[in-house]
Amino acid sequence: MPGQERLKNEIIDGGLCSACGLCVGLCPYIKTRRDRVRVIYPCGLQEGTCYSVCPKTGLDVGEMDRAVFGREREDQALGVLQGIYFARAAGDKAPGAQYGGVTTALAALALRQGLISGAVLTGGEADNPHPALARTAGEVYACAGSKYVGVPTLAELNRALRDGLTGLGVVGRPCQVAAVRKMQQGNLPGAQFNVPGAVELVLGLFCFASLTPDFYSFLSGQVQGEKVIKMDIPEDGPVVETSAGSYRWSMDDLRPYIHKACNLCLDPTSEWADIAVGATEYDRAWNTLVVRSDRGRDLLNLALDKGVIEIKEYPPQRLPVLRRATLNKKMRVLADAEYQEGRPGCPVVPLEYRRQIEEQWGGVSQ
Amino acid sequence: MGVCKEQPGVRVALTGNESIARGALEAGVAYAASYPGSPTAEVLGTLAKVAGEFNLYVEWSVNEKVAMEGAAAASFTGLRSLVVMKADGLNVALDFASALALSGTRGGMVIVVGDDPSSHSSVREEDSRNLCKALHLPIWEPSSVQEAKDMTRAAFDLSEQLKLPVVVRCVTRVCHASGDVELGELTRPERRPVFGRDDRVITFSIQLHAQLEQKLSRAAAEASDSFFNGYSGPANARRLVIASGPSAMYALEALDMLGLAGGVGVLKLGTTWPLPETLLLNYLKNASEVVFAEEVEPFVEDNVMALAAGHWNELGSIKFYGKRSGHVAGPAGAGIGELDPDVLAGSLAKIFDVPWAGQTMLTSREAEELLGEKMPGRELALCAGCPHRASFWAIRTALELDGREGVVLGDIGCYTLGIVRTGYYLLQTMHCMGAGVGIAGGLGKLNRFGFNKPVITVVGDSTFYHAAVPALINARYNRANFMCVVLDNETTAMTGHQPHPGRQTTATGGPADTVYMEEIIRGLNIPYAISDPYDVDATINAVCDMLQLSGPRVLILRRTCALAAVKGKEKNRVYVDWDKCIGDDCGCGRFCSKVFACPANIWDAEHGKARIDEAVCNGCGVCATLCPQQAIVVERTVE
Repeated sequence: MPGQERLKNEIIDGGLCSACGLCVGLCPYIKTRRDRVRVIYPCGLQEGTCYSVCPKTGLDVGEMDRAVFGREREDQALGVLQGIYFARAAGDKAPGAQYGGVTTALAALALRQGLISGAVLTGGEADNPHPALARTAGEVYACAGSKYVGVPTLAELNRALRDGLTGLGVVGRPCQVAAVRKMQQGNLPGAQFNVPGAVELVLGLFCFASLTPDFYSFLSGQVQGEKVIKMDIPEDGPVVETSAGSYRWSMDDLRPYIHKACNLCLDPTSEWADIAVGATEYDRAWNTLVVRSDRGRDLLNLALDKGVIEIKEYPPQRLPVLRRATLNKKMRVLADAEYQEGRPGCPVVPLEYRRQIEEQWGGVSQ
Repeated sequence: MGVCKEQPGVRVALTGNESIARGALEAGVAYAASYPGSPTAEVLGTLAKVAGEFNLYVEWSVNEKVAMEGAAAASFTGLRSLVVMKADGLNVALDFASALALSGTRGGMVIVVGDDPSSHSSVREEDSRNLCKALHLPIWEPSSVQEAKDMTRAAFDLSEQLKLPVVVRCVTRVCHASGDVELGELTRPERRPVFGRDDRVITFSIQLHAQLEQKLSRAAAEASDSFFNGYSGPANARRLVIASGPSAMYALEALDMLGLAGGVGVLKLGTTWPLPETLLLNYLKNASEVVFAEEVEPFVEDNVMALAAGHWNELGSIKFYGKRSGHVAGPAGAGIGELDPDVLAGSLAKIFDVPWAGQTMLTSREAEELLGEKMPGRELALCAGCPHRASFWAIRTALELDGREGVVLGDIGCYTLGIVRTGYYLLQTMHCMGAGVGIAGGLGKLNRFGFNKPVITVVGDSTFYHAAVPALINARYNRANFMCVVLDNETTAMTGHQPHPGRQTTATGGPADTVYMEEIIRGLNIPYAISDPYDVDATINAVCDMLQLSGPRVLILRRTCALAAVKGKEKNRVYVDWDKCIGDDCGCGRFCSKVFACPANIWDAEHGKARIDEAVCNGCGVCATLCPQQAIVVERTVE
């Protein structure tokens, strides 16, 4: 089990860090600033929790499926799932909530019902997001709104655990979901990670790519001091609303600011979350909601009973579009010149999974 | 105190520095100025304490050049004045000193220079005698604490006669030694400064050089009759040791140990420059073997050999031994480091072919064998609670977070320890006071050649006033791109907590018109910010934010020196909660005691836990902020 030195050389300095944040706050030597994760001092230890929980090291897709769900997946596009729906918050949405506001509603519900003691998520503005720990439903609503720069949210998880909290919920990007699941598999040197029930709920977000902090310079240059109200990346390209109007770019304009690590990521839909939520890119009033685990199913049922969200059947004509998008992403990764199985930043894909990806991708393509 | 006792002839225990101060008082000094520098800082401190009693003006000046200029002003009016500095400080004052020697002075003016052989508290062991010779100034060297007083007093008289400053060069072993001193009579002259419209002190004529040479000739003539040169040993000695400074004492002791005291003469030179030529020639004409004993440069050796060469036809053949011949050499080599009786005994035994049983003192290797495990090694460290440690940690962290591999430059002060482990090896250059800012200015203009790394330079608050301001002006004018971090611990800590222009008190404790560094920086139109280094996270953010800017800019990290802060006050109690401390399991391998490494953060091996050494701890609480387990607790005292 390697440690900090390899994490620094292979991942952080190797440009493969997607800033999930779970290595931040484990010790005094790994810190974050403006969403950049840095090693500030060598610890000299041969083994480290920081390396173990990193989602860019030693990730085997098949092993993760078995560890989290107790079985292997059949659907290579969407991973293990019990159901997929269009969903949206019922009643008043939180101001600033993106699309259907489902993530916010679910996290707030879990807090109100005492299912979790706190929710670790990303707060702040679109141009100044930061990790946050919400202890009340109101605090969850205050964090609504999608952020597109990769924020090391899980640093806040470490802080909460160190403060003695357990039974937490996490809202995160696919890499953050993977990191938390790695953490939950236990047998790690850090004492706080071996607390049973540290994390009780994992809500995952769809994410095809996150942006590096350099995007802030681009953004401030473009909007020239105007206050950023909201940012979105719909099908027809990124858009930012400011106090003075809207700015629109093509996806190619943002490509230089995509984390290099995201080019090697095989999971755009938080495949190991209890519930995964994304945009529909079809009807802006609705979210895509994927139920993956029994716990996710229970939470969804509770939400329906309480009337905080409503769902409808995922439109049959839209499902192939989503599947094609995710399979395209995976095929791009597997075809990337930098992808070599077992290499730092490159997840291990079992042969059977790889065969199924190609087979299913061929099927959808037609 | 001892330096004030009125009765002449009474004997008191004084340090060399106190003795110099006493000598100045006996001479009726009216004006004393200095910039703090070990080993002579206490001279002015001593005078400051008695300034009221003797109607004496005492000033901590912003640097040594300004100090010398102020003292010269008093001398120009006919008052007696003293200026004190270490050898490095003489370098600062050199520009003015060389001109002053030509213009001459009026009232007696004594320049006390503290040299530091073996660099006990300096970055180099500089021998100021060669500089003083180049300046055309007389140099006197006391060999004992008593001589320090007597020479200082007499130097005022010589200076007044010659109308030329006189240097009293004193080394660490005399400045900091304690000795029995017989006091002379104190004088309290009436003081009437006179400098009218018709007075001129101008350095502008070739004739002044001729006059200066004449002054030195008179000094040389008087030197041969000086009380401060002494001989002991047989008449017409064929074997002679010529020694200056404390080496004279070492030579006497060494000869005694070798059983040669009756057969070898010792000529002690107190008036080192100009050489007492008549006196020297008188002893050289009988000598066939001459050994030079002096520390660092072979100053006496070279000059006496030159003198002898000019009189070879009278003197005949003489064999000289010293640094040039390699015979007088310590463990580090000839002319390197201090002498001591042991080193000299070894040298003399070899020269005179006398059996020498060996050292009476243990070698360091033998000491190590004897003490072995009982004496742990000690490394240089900042004091417990030092705000510089917190500053260095914050800067280092910020640079790593920034990720652009910025460089960090430094200079001289307590924070010089930024070059070693206690300062996390942060500093990359170290030359003289304020040099880091000038070098940063240079690096900050190399972007045209592709140098784009962030540049940080670290400077102390006292050094800010001493030498950094011109470099900042230059940076502003030339638009150099760097960040200057002023480590403002609100005192000149390294040399004993003297005040400086940024503080509200003067050397004598009276009120000062404070010169706030913020006002200077604002006046330069340079952006600046202030942070408390004890607030580590805020300081990291402040450094990170300022690193994003360009052009010259200043960050002031302000927190009182930990030693000054706790003087006469109750400290915060800091302790480790052992229920929370995870000992060796701490993911960072004992962060507080091994990495942060404050001397108060120690390791309790018996319990396998961190502990706070309460005797050492000054209660700053920074380690509590940084502890990853939040196991360190601070109980703050009511302020």
